[in-house]
Amino acid sequence: MYIEPLKSDEILDPELNALIARAEALGVPDTLFPRILARVPAHAKALLRALLVSHAEGNVDHKLKEVIRVQLARTAGDGYFARLRSAPARDQGLDEATIAAGSGKFEDDARFSAAEKWALRYARELYLNPEKVDAACYAEGKKHYSEAQIMELGAFIAFHYGMQAFARTLRLFPAPGAGSGTPSCVDGEHPARP
Amino acid sequence: MRFSEAEKLALRYSEWMALDPDKIDAAFYAALRRCFSDEEIIELGAFIGFNIGYHTFFGSLKFYPMFAPDGRLVSQEESARIYGEKPVSLQGEATGARPSRPPGEF
Repeated sequence: MYIEPLKSDEILDPELNALIARAEALGVPDTLFPRILARVPAHAKALLRALLVSHAEGNVDHKLKEVIRVQLARTAGDGYFARLRSAPARDQGLDEATIAAGSGKFEDDARFSAAEKWALRYARELYLNPEKVDAACYAEGKKHYSEAQIMELGAFIAFHYGMQAFARTLRLFPAPGAGSGTPSCVDGEHPARP
Repeated sequence: MRFSEAEKLALRYSEWMALDPDKIDAAFYAALRRCFSDEEIIELGAFIGFNIGYHTFFGSLKFYPMFAPDGRLVSQEESARIYGEKPVSLQGEATGARPSRPPGEF
């Protein structure tokens, strides 16, 4: 871990603390990444708000977004976000087999609908083969989603991929129990990723 | 030499985060700390990450600036003619956020 997080009692902004608590309840991110961002409170609040809203709110299924989020983290090579899990998605029935399938050969997997396959393909190609995200790709997407939903998906993908690219360079590792809905952080006890 | 040492480090941070993130190691952060505070590094890193994500998304939407360099409001077709189908900034070595290794399993 190249930048130390602030301790909880060093974070005094009530709005920032509320956002950190909301992130902890969601499970993504756990409190480690927010407490590092908290060194720049104004940025931390804007980024956390965007992370939380894009992931947990909107008109695209949260479970699908969660599968996409883990796929993106693996694309970005970020072990921190890849290991975290959304508690609400789990409570809604999302399991590890489905998450793994979303990062694998999802095109041949009957558990995903045509709409979900398009969304997973969109997320994958945007960062691995962006030239394939063309007019034909968007035309296909419009068969399954409204333009508002496509913008919601695109913005979610863009934002999370970018933060994962940043988190990768920080060499973060979730605390034990992170992503399970249980408190994930004890000050000073986050293990550093080797 | 138009860029200071600090600016060169920041530019390297940006390029490597997008194209070769494994080069951003403890030694690189130590070098960053000679020029920037931890708060500035966080600000830079988050800004870079945000832009890595968003430039790829916006690029896929294929829209062009609303205004010509002289300030005129122009159509998308004219904007594409003015700014080019492929911007100058995408014609060099850094041509987009591509991971430097295959996706990991984690």
